[in-house]
Amino acid sequence: MSEKIYALLLRLFPSHFRERYGAEALQLFRDRIHHETGLFPRLRLWFDLFTDLALSLPREYRYAQASLAPAAPAAALPAGLSPSFFVLAEKSPRPGALAIGGILSVSAILAFSALSRVSTHKPRRDASRETYRARSAPSSSYTQRAPQDASAPPAPGAASQSAAARSSAGETAGAKSPSAPGTSQSSMLPFDNDSNSSEAVSEPRDNGNVRRVPGASKSVLAAAHHRTVAAAIANLNRYYVDRALALQMSAALEAHEKNGDNDAAATGAAFAAQLTKQMRDVSHDLHVDLIYSEEPLPDPVAAPSSAELARYRAAMEQSNCTFEKVALLPHNIGYLKLNSFPDRAVCESTAKAAMGELNNADAIIFDLRDNRGGEPAMVMLLAAYLFDHPEYMYNPRENTSPRSWTQSPVPGNKLADKSVYVLTSRSTWSAAEHFSYDLKMLKRATIVGETTGGAAHSGVFHRLDEHFGMGIPEAKPINPFSDADWAVVGVAPDVSVPAEQALHTALQLAQRQVRK
Amino acid sequence: MPKRKLDPLPAAAFQILLALAGEDLHGYGIMRQVAEQTAGRMRLGPGTLYSSIQSLLEAKLIEELDAREDARLGHERRRYYRLTSAGRKLARSEADRLADLLRVARAKKILRGDYV
Repeated sequence: MSEKIYALLLRLFPSHFRERYGAEALQLFRDRIHHETGLFPRLRLWFDLFTDLALSLPREYRYAQASLAPAAPAAALPAGLSPSFFVLAEKSPRPGALAIGGILSVSAILAFSALSRVSTHKPRRDASRETYRARSAPSSSYTQRAPQDASAPPAPGAASQSAAARSSAGETAGAKSPSAPGTSQSSMLPFDNDSNSSEAVSEPRDNGNVRRVPGASKSVLAAAHHRTVAAAIANLNRYYVDRALALQMSAALEAHEKNGDNDAAATGAAFAAQLTKQMRDVSHDLHVDLIYSEEPLPDPVAAPSSAELARYRAAMEQSNCTFEKVALLPHNIGYLKLNSFPDRAVCESTAKAAMGELNNADAIIFDLRDNRGGEPAMVMLLAAYLFDHPEYMYNPRENTSPRSWTQSPVPGNKLADKSVYVLTSRSTWSAAEHFSYDLKMLKRATIVGETTGGAAHSGVFHRLDEHFGMGIPEAKPINPFSDADWAVVGVAPDVSVPAEQALHTALQLAQRQVRK
Repeated sequence: MPKRKLDPLPAAAFQILLALAGEDLHGYGIMRQVAEQTAGRMRLGPGTLYSSIQSLLEAKLIEELDAREDARLGHERRRYYRLTSAGRKLARSEADRLADLLRVARAKKILRGDYV
């Protein structure tokens, strides 16, 4: 033990000393330990060692420093004179030498920093990021999972709409595609804005973020196009539910690329829309889509971390799980404004409390006008209250399983035979459309308002590169109601009124119904 | 390599020269011998001991011998040091210098009694 301590202390000496005498010093220490036993000799030994360290360390370092100075010619012993010592005074360097050394080191530092700045300077990236910022909102929410998106807790009221949009991205498949509704969604992407901003960009990016830019080299664009197309083909062939259709779509993508059909794509979003169209033209599968995201897509599409989950939980608590309003309106009509279908694990009690509050209503209105989607599990939980027997709810995202039936009847629930109204708007998306579509098809609810967004999000999301991803259906559940679901076309209302008037209309309908 | 200062000769270096005047010793032997000849007043720690040895080696006042075992201390091989003729001369001249000092001191009645 004490030898180890001393070995550590020895490391304080300069290396030349340790190399030459370290082993011997340790040996000497061992000998002393061996011979000097008893309390007093031991104390004296350690006292000796520390005074020795205090005295010899500075001396050794002075010597080590001096030995770094240029060696002067060895002083010759004058012959005949019995021994004499020549101690070379440690000459300090001349001021001129110091000045030159200083200038040299400063210029070396400057040169190094200049070099490193050149090698890390990537102005293009930032420039084109700015360019796409205007269009980022719809497409970037494609892959985000709810917990990640909950990083900004939604404020009640105005912000709740975006909260709903965020939570809506938490589809099991993660495949939310606001770009899916085709024209209606693309119209949200201001192309004027694109053409303006494209002038600000001097060069195309090299990561598949493709755009036509004045003066940009065509081959760079083509190469970026090609990488995205190749990645899309690889993913289709690997994951698409129907192998034959996958090959047809791949062939179509290849053919269009060869024909130069993609060259006209002015923006990343336009290119993505074009590829989506090419695939749908062949497969007639509206669940296939390819999206462009201005925000870099996470790689890999990671499971949310516990911190993200905690943020999501906090955001949900703050917003009452996006149950914005739960109230009994005149004539005993229950009103539930729900802005997303949040994670059941987090919000189940909130949902049950809300339904319990409305349990004695004579009719119930679900206001989904600001609901951008969420978790199928929450759809099933709420729908369970509307039936007195397990009911099959078609969900294009999941293969038919026991989870496809509602867990009805709910004990103590009185809503199973009450009339139901669902308010919709153009921005009713995804899980909210799932809820609306199935209740409409089951003739369990009257849909009042506008045709919904048409975001089926039935594909499993696959990341192609930093900015492109695609939703690929990997399952094909049976749709008992019709061939097509709400993908792209949306859910048409039973009573078509502008979204702002939907509540008024539904209230009138409900009152009439209740009075009967 | 600059030389270490040995002029004036440090007490430790002089004691080492004196210790080696009798026989070749290894480091621990030198330390014991020095302690003995100073009646325990000077116990050379490893740092002082080996830096002095280094200086003396550089000045060719002592020399290294091949490592060998010390039968009294077990089977570890130890490096032995031997006084060179230059070292012996220096020790003698240092002793003469001290003797001169002593004579002066005695003449000045600083010393009690005739030790030298």
